Amino acid sequence: MNVFLRELKANRKSLIIWSVCMFLLVASGMGKYTAYAASGANSKIFNELPASMKALLGIGSFDVTAMSGYFAMLFLYLEITAAIHAVLLGSHIIAKEERDKTIEFLIPKPVSRAAIITSKLFAALVNVVVMNAVTLAASIIMVAKYNKGADISGEITMFMLSMFILQLIFLSLGAALSALIRNSQASGSLAAGITFLSFAIAKITDLTDRVNFLNVLSPFKYFGYGDIVAGKSLDFGMAMLSLLLAALFFASTYFFYCRRDLNV
Amino acid sequence: MNIYLHELKSLRKSTIIWTCALIALALLYFSVYSGLAKDAADFKKLLSGYPAQLRAALGISLDNITSLLGFYSMVFSFITLGGAIQAMNLGVSILSREARERTTDFLLVKPVSRQAIVSAKLLAALTMLLATNVVYYAAALIFATMVKTADFSFQVFFMINLTLFFVQLMFLAIGLVVSVFFKQLKSVLPISLGVVFGFYIIGAIIATGNNDAERFVSPFKYFDINYIINNARYEPPYLFAGAAIVIAAIAATYAIYTKKDIHAIS
Repeated sequence: MNVFLRELKANRKSLIIWSVCMFLLVASGMGKYTAYAASGANSKIFNELPASMKALLGIGSFDVTAMSGYFAMLFLYLEITAAIHAVLLGSHIIAKEERDKTIEFLIPKPVSRAAIITSKLFAALVNVVVMNAVTLAASIIMVAKYNKGADISGEITMFMLSMFILQLIFLSLGAALSALIRNSQASGSLAAGITFLSFAIAKITDLTDRVNFLNVLSPFKYFGYGDIVAGKSLDFGMAMLSLLLAALFFASTYFFYCRRDLNV
Repeated sequence: MNIYLHELKSLRKSTIIWTCALIALALLYFSVYSGLAKDAADFKKLLSGYPAQLRAALGISLDNITSLLGFYSMVFSFITLGGAIQAMNLGVSILSREARERTTDFLLVKPVSRQAIVSAKLLAALTMLLATNVVYYAAALIFATMVKTADFSFQVFFMINLTLFFVQLMFLAIGLVVSVFFKQLKSVLPISLGVVFGFYIIGAIIATGNNDAERFVSPFKYFDINYIINNARYEPPYLFAGAAIVIAAIAATYAIYTKKDIHAIS
């Protein structure tokens, strides 16, 4: 319990900064909506572009003059911010003990390594939930402010749910990598690199259908935005697989950390 | 000279990894181009059916969008993102690494002025960025000639790749000036990733308008590739602004680092 509370307090400032940034991001993104909606007369042309052209222009396959389509376009950027936050959080929360030389204090305490990891991961989970909640609230408020069409709060909630699963995947990835790799700088860079690669792949598969098999490497593509915009709920099988992946990473965190040679 | 050579050696592995990563990204994009070229032919037919004013309103230039350079300009923003992360990492870590790796006591008591230290490190960072750019340019040129469907201007291609260097310079300078404000930076990643992605997202979302003032906010938007393709030169206001930022940031780094209270190893 102590470790959990202490970790919450230690991450408080960083969480506030990230939440404010996320809020500003949603606000500014929505602010730009009026510019897109104004060109509503041209949406016919937008829709007739070949898929690859649309991807290059950054529009993807959505009707960006409608609020739901625009939000889908904006959502990728919200997701990458949340993913970076989650992966850095997961990586730091495990690696910081050795980096800050507090490991010698913590380990002799009558708490098993597994219990330490549990408390830390729970604290990280709370952070991730807060981040998600902030994004959800910001999105609903800002969309309501600029929306002239149908209410899309249901779709936004679906988006946020998919983002939550994504955050879990990246959080557990960051934690597992830093439990595995000795050098804390290297594990953070590797985790960030993998996130960036997933983002790059997500953008590339937008360009052409031919490399769709690469989608499996990019968590950003696990849940089709088109489906969510159309009002369907998340694909159950995909959600289960993603949660399984996150669970696998979490399990490896425990496995590797309990056997790890600590850098004192 | 010693410091310069030492920094070069310690940056070597990371630079090699980054260069390979950028080249791999470029390779991935170029390999997609051939499939795209076929779509482009259909799209061109479609676009020619629309009146010229409409095309102008959408900002789509018929020739540019389907040529190799047009394609490259769109995917290049991504490569610039990667390059910016590398430069920002370099800038933030190169001065703060002394505090992080507990070598301040050793370095600062040597009979070398702090300015000389900053100069040596700055030069080492510049050398590494230059090396990355040169190798990347060579690789990109090879890829481009391999997948091209029509001849393109080598000069314009070179100018586009040069913007990568400019953006990296800006982020290097920003990283340097940010790092001197911290007593001890325990981890480089949150700051560098946060700032770079922040600017990237601002550039992608806010600066999409034609409003020139907004473009000054994000270094990613300083060099409009379409303008370079059309006019074969850079836009002077942004070039000056970029240079001004780099010079101001580096001057600030020198000024602050020289006067700063640097704490002994904790």
